[in-house]
Amino acid sequence: MSDNEEDIIEGSDEEGEAMTASEVLQKLEEAWITERMSPTLEKHQSELVDCMLDQINQMSENLKRCKKYDFRLAIHKMEIDRIRYVLSSYLRVRLEKIERFAHHLLEKQTNLSNEDLSILSPQEAAYAKDYASSLEAHFQNLVLQHVPENLRTFDRGKMSVKPNLDSYVFLKVKQATPGVLLEDDTGEGRDEEVDFKEGSQYLMRYKPIMELLQSGAVTLI
Amino acid sequence: MDSIEIEFLAEKAPVTIVPNFTHDKLYLISGDVGPFTAGLPVEVPLWLGINLRQRGKCRLVAPEWMDVEKLTEKKEEEKQSKVFTQMPCEHYLIVTQLLLSSAPEDIPNAQQIKTLVKDIWDLRISKLRSSVAEFIESEGTHATLDRLTLLEINSVRPFLPHAFDQLHRLSKSAHGSNLSQTTQDIQY
Repeated sequence: MSDNEEDIIEGSDEEGEAMTASEVLQKLEEAWITERMSPTLEKHQSELVDCMLDQINQMSENLKRCKKYDFRLAIHKMEIDRIRYVLSSYLRVRLEKIERFAHHLLEKQTNLSNEDLSILSPQEAAYAKDYASSLEAHFQNLVLQHVPENLRTFDRGKMSVKPNLDSYVFLKVKQATPGVLLEDDTGEGRDEEVDFKEGSQYLMRYKPIMELLQSGAVTLI
Repeated sequence: MDSIEIEFLAEKAPVTIVPNFTHDKLYLISGDVGPFTAGLPVEVPLWLGINLRQRGKCRLVAPEWMDVEKLTEKKEEEKQSKVFTQMPCEHYLIVTQLLLSSAPEDIPNAQQIKTLVKDIWDLRISKLRSSVAEFIESEGTHATLDRLTLLEINSVRPFLPHAFDQLHRLSKSAHGSNLSQTTQDIQY
């Protein structure tokens, strides 16, 4: 039967657990929402993306082979469209952020000691480099070539745009965390400690909850 | 986020349908659905249910909470309470709109339900608006929004986070300039 597909997929978890396709899809959708809501670029999830792409390709192959069952065909096609929408929206929002913060991200990338901590996937890193160099070349050809000698330098440091980590975001608490410290960097000494109860929703700055987000205790909504 | 994207997320919610055909299990990527037996109810994702209904292959069953009495009670509760009450379904407005637009005949008292849900929505949004105004005036640094649904939160985006960003920037620079004034005083 053309519908029998491998449900268990080797998703790479830290524990090496196999994840079912629906779990991968769930995680991908969460990553999509987080990426949309976050002011900075989040860690890349290229394993989830690749896994879903595989699934879609496999499913499309199966569908090509079975032409008769019109009704099942349409349903699977709809589902493929839905998954493709999430994937392309996710990748598109990442590309937008890469273009915006290109120089900043490349600096961070070169200072990285461990490959695993990289926020950009290898293809994204290559894209960022190409984009940055195309931008510089463009400015050179357009303007800098034609201005007097002493103004011709291209200052990378001034070009780099840093993401605003003090942006306010909405978040939902998945794991209860007592005593979260919200530092008040306006220096008025209004540091606050909040107890995060499971299931509650908050609006606060991104910076204090950045680590909780990475550990999975909260999620952006 | 656009409301269309929240609709996309809401379409994953499960809904019960009664198919008029028989078919075995469908192995979708997002999970298995079925098997379908004509006349027996089965749970499917909302997007699938709506599509099947549009092709005339099934009948939709109203979710348990979509009942005139229950909704009237909820509306009263919402009116009496100063804070937000827990909604029976995270995407109550979207599910109602989608179900009623594709199959109003399948849902009993469709018109009343529409009005009730709209009233509940209006009540909650006006509560949200007044609490936002209060909150900005009180200059808090973070807000608790329990029991608010995604679509309601989205109605104040991007205004609310933006406003807080600006307030934060202003207070930061106000403090910053105080510091630099002090150093200037010492220097001169």
